[in-house]
Amino acid sequence: MVSKPSIYHNRIELLQGTLDLLILQTLQWGPRHGYGISQAIRTGSGDVLRADTGSLYPALHRLERAKWIAAEWKKSENQQRVKVYRLTAAGKKQLLTERSRWEQLVIAIGGILGHEQS
Amino acid sequence: MSNRDRRLREEIESHLRMAIRDRMERGESAAEAEANARREFGNLGLVEEVTRDMWCWTWLEQFWRDLRYGLRGMRRNPGFTTVAVIALALGIGANSAIFTAVDAILLRPLGYRDPERLVVILNHGRGPVAPANFVDWKAQSRSFDNMGAAEYWTPDFTGSDRPEKLWALRVSADILPLLGVPPTLGRFFTRDEDQPGREFEVVLGYGLWQRQFGGDTNVLGHRIQLDNHTYTVVGVMPPGFQFAPFWATRAELWAPLALGSRASKRNGNSLRVFARLKPDITLEQAREEFSAITARLERQYPGTNRDQRIVPLKEKVVGEIRPALVTLLCAVGFVLLIACANVAHMLLARAAARTHEVAVRAALGAGRARLVRQFLAESLIIAMLAGAVGLLLAWWGVRAMVRFGPAGIPRLETLSLDWRVAAVTLAVSVATGILFGLAPALHASGLNSAESLKEGGRSSNGPARQQVRGLLVISEFALSLMLLIGAGLMVRSFIALQAIDPGFRPDHLLTMQISVGGSQQAAPRRAQAFYQSALERVRGIPGITAAGMTNHLPIAGDLWGVPFWIDGRPVPHLGEEPEGAFRLALPGYLETMKIPIVRGRSIEAGDTATAPGVVVINEYMAERYWPGESAVGKRITLDNPSSSRPPVWLMVVGVTKNAVQIDWAARPEEELFLPYLQHTERMGHYITLVARAKGDPAAMAPAVESAIWQIDRNVTISEVQTMQAVVEGANAEARFNMALLAVFAAVATVLSAVGIGGVMSYAAQRRRREMGIRLALGARPAEILHLITSEGMVLALSGTAIGIAGASVLTRLMAKLLYGVPPVDPVTFIAVPLLLSAVALAACLVPAFRAAHTSPLAALRQE
Repeated sequence: MVSKPSIYHNRIELLQGTLDLLILQTLQWGPRHGYGISQAIRTGSGDVLRADTGSLYPALHRLERAKWIAAEWKKSENQQRVKVYRLTAAGKKQLLTERSRWEQLVIAIGGILGHEQS
Repeated sequence: MSNRDRRLREEIESHLRMAIRDRMERGESAAEAEANARREFGNLGLVEEVTRDMWCWTWLEQFWRDLRYGLRGMRRNPGFTTVAVIALALGIGANSAIFTAVDAILLRPLGYRDPERLVVILNHGRGPVAPANFVDWKAQSRSFDNMGAAEYWTPDFTGSDRPEKLWALRVSADILPLLGVPPTLGRFFTRDEDQPGREFEVVLGYGLWQRQFGGDTNVLGHRIQLDNHTYTVVGVMPPGFQFAPFWATRAELWAPLALGSRASKRNGNSLRVFARLKPDITLEQAREEFSAITARLERQYPGTNRDQRIVPLKEKVVGEIRPALVTLLCAVGFVLLIACANVAHMLLARAAARTHEVAVRAALGAGRARLVRQFLAESLIIAMLAGAVGLLLAWWGVRAMVRFGPAGIPRLETLSLDWRVAAVTLAVSVATGILFGLAPALHASGLNSAESLKEGGRSSNGPARQQVRGLLVISEFALSLMLLIGAGLMVRSFIALQAIDPGFRPDHLLTMQISVGGSQQAAPRRAQAFYQSALERVRGIPGITAAGMTNHLPIAGDLWGVPFWIDGRPVPHLGEEPEGAFRLALPGYLETMKIPIVRGRSIEAGDTATAPGVVVINEYMAERYWPGESAVGKRITLDNPSSSRPPVWLMVVGVTKNAVQIDWAARPEEELFLPYLQHTERMGHYITLVARAKGDPAAMAPAVESAIWQIDRNVTISEVQTMQAVVEGANAEARFNMALLAVFAAVATVLSAVGIGGVMSYAAQRRRREMGIRLALGARPAEILHLITSEGMVLALSGTAIGIAGASVLTRLMAKLLYGVPPVDPVTFIAVPLLLSAVALAACLVPAFRAAHTSPLAALRQE
């Protein structure tokens, strides 16, 4: 009845802790609502990564509570109220930290994988 | 729904809307788009819930939900809730009320600066000391910052529109500063003013200042009339100030002691000595130095400094009452424990009954923590409710204690429930809630849900749980038994106290104190005539059958001692001469009191100042000094025969039966009745009237008072009371303790009975099917009855046995509260366990009967 896109086998589970980084990174280019963020992560990763709503919304609220992002209610183009998140100054700093942590992780894991191969 | 919840719902809905729109733009039909978007989104409720969890107050919100859930459960089961709340409330209420008393009387320090360092020096640790001793000690000791002395004084306050007899103290100038409480108004008197001739200055108590001066701040410098002398007000003490704290507690006026020539007197003990320890001196060091001083003085003046003791002031104030309070505190602790045990096994029973429900909820995804929280919430509600009701009970209990509490308990009148007690109550109830909520909660949530579901919630009563409940019942019974034994001992000793023959007939007696100090009758000769004519008038009142007068009433009055010497016997060393209580009596006193004369005659109208000196003594004195012979006709004197003045000899003309002197339970000692007319110089400016009425003595008071005031309106009349009330007052403390312990023991017994009844009826209910089978197979109801009852009685009797062992140890601690009963009293130790066993049997029989008379068919069809 429904044509199910068969991308499931291509999907990669998000690594623990990387969702925060992705959200902050996505918001770097301007405020977005929750749905927009999930779409951005999906398209940005070429449909490989998907932010599960069950993880996305808790993460958004957690980041909001940590004051790394701030939320605002706005009217969408078709006059509906939507909650829009934007990066705060503290969030920008946090993004830098998380990025450098991620890079370290990539180098570290790459190093290990490199050894394995040789 | 909270604001935050609404916002979250809106956010999620907007997410869905956008997803649907995107899908529709991609060409899906509206229905398809919505279904797919929802599927992609996942479990809406779950997303909401985990998101909500990101905010800290969700815990509170959840807790609130648990509370509401608990409340709903409690409404479904009002009987259980009521019993649980009442049981706990009784425990908590009793605990808070008694804690209030302990706090106010034992824990709260006296209202003085650094009260732990205040001590009092007394003869034998009890009585007053001689002025010369005080002067010597003050001069010679180095352990004290300061030392002062106080003497009881009851002046007549006249010259205002409301003359009254006051309770006052004459104090040395050092005493008030020593206490560290500054006056709210004015100053204390100085050492210079503590001299004869300059002593006419007073410091007022707050109550007196309000009462007689309307709280007028211009009272300083005001002149007042006390005992026909003019005194100047120099200061006012703050509200709540009390001195002295253990004797003369009603004093509300302080004047200089002005010892003067009395300072060298080594007899005439009338002073209580107060001192403050130096900061670096311990009580032991002070005692050591003091005993060296008294030993030296004793060598110098033999018989004057034996057994003078330093006692910490607080010890003196609360020492007497401590055993009673500690006993009561133990008792209420037991009651609370029993109440908790009761509620705990009620909750256990309920948890068992709810196993099925819990299993269903666990299967539907409720986490273990969530289930524990829910059980906890429910027991916390019960505990809080009980705490509130208990606080109400405590408030009422404290008021009852103030109202009905015996006089003489220090600071009882200051009792009021305060926030600290409220806090303790709350803490106790919350702790209780956690304590008895946790065990059933953990147990219930730890069940294997599949098993429970299969069994339909029927069994699920593991042997472990039965054991826990059995232990609870055993401990309840052990605790109840100890309480009952304590109460039984108090009842027995109260009966023994009531059975004491006071040696006089307290019924139908009216007593009052008449003081002439502020009137024209103060001169000794006029007083004498006044007393006699007053007595005549009182005797003439219709309804009065007899009247007499004495200096001090037994029990209620003071007790003055006097040394005496016996004619023809060697004069003992100074300080070793025999002593006796003496009462000055006008003719008719012994007859009015109905103190029987066993030999010789009473004091008669002919025993005047010009007649030969006579004395009436009690049996104890007669037998002690003239054993085997008649005391009547022998001579004694109250004057030291070795002094230069020739002694005045008094002939023993009569012997009375022993009568209670000042302490109801003490064995009477030597007592001398002297004709007032022969010893007017020994009488203060007041006298006590006793009148025997035909009917209700209290109703005669107005007639008696007006008869006296017809002679002189300026005499003051105080302490109007019936002798019956005096006697009851003497036993008030024993009665009070007994009543409280009895109430606690009764509550404990009821709780235990409810407990064992509940456990047994639950057990019977659980085994209904088994009983049905047994009955169907031919068991007789009597056998079933026996089966259930014996199971319960094993628990009750084990508890009782443990209780007997515990009680035999614990009752030793209350030995001081008992009179005429040994702590391990065989009667109590046999009767009480029998009584408790009977109660247990009755409580077991009810469910056992029900089980024995079930219809087997109904029981088997039950499920």
